[in-house]
Amino acid sequence: MSNLTSDVEKHTALYEAAFNAGDVDAVNAMYTDEAVAVWEPGKPLTGQARKDSVKEFLALKPKMSAKPRQTFVTGDTALLIVDWSIATVDESGDPELLTGVGVDVLRKGDDGNWRYAIDDPYGEQN
Amino acid sequence: MSIPGITVDFDVDNPDLTGDSDTQNEIFIQLFNSGDGALFDLLYREDAISNFSGSPLTGKERTEFFKEFLAPKPFLKAEITHAYVAGDVALIGVKFSVDSTGPDGEPVRIEGNCTDVLRLGEDGRWLMSIDRPVAGTLLPQ
Repeated sequence: MSNLTSDVEKHTALYEAAFNAGDVDAVNAMYTDEAVAVWEPGKPLTGQARKDSVKEFLALKPKMSAKPRQTFVTGDTALLIVDWSIATVDESGDPELLTGVGVDVLRKGDDGNWRYAIDDPYGEQN
Repeated sequence: MSIPGITVDFDVDNPDLTGDSDTQNEIFIQLFNSGDGALFDLLYREDAISNFSGSPLTGKERTEFFKEFLAPKPFLKAEITHAYVAGDVALIGVKFSVDSTGPDGEPVRIEGNCTDVLRLGEDGRWLMSIDRPVAGTLLPQ
């Protein structure tokens, strides 16, 4: 099912839902074709590598909690500052809690729906 | 035409931050340090949001703030920490310092990081769409 929305305020919660459902296609559909994701600091991923990374990561059945702290919208561009945490497992299968403050740039498509153009989960280093 | 103190290639009639992050940074710094808020505002899209004041400002309010803020010539230093481009939108991270003078003439320095979102217009020019200093504002607290 599609988790796309024309309401930018709902985007993060719908992403969280698709992520927690382990729905690779729904998650990947929430990115623009040209989107850049920086799930590992300093290592931007695009295209098929970005899509494959979602599949690989969701296979670990991680659970995400994400809440936008700030939202700025100007025309068809938005910047979201998001507090998030992900409960997953590390390479040895032990529980691991990842946390960060994400910097998300969203673009509104011709269909009126918002999608990630740049997903930088460790974008704000305090 | 040339503008005093501006050595970068910048056309006031067709402002363009370009698609190159080092050039963007140099243009941004030089126009900021010009002390001319109206000139600096040319780097922003009409509907762009600036958070330099600590509040999101757009349109005329943003322009007026820049004029007032830059008039005493606060001095900006900035370096790019990261830059990602996804089609017609870019996310730039910068580490900055702003040196200004307090009410009693004392030197005031603000340091922090800033997130900038740039957009490529249909006319091929890159301009500021959203800026957000992580510290919250470029004004002394």
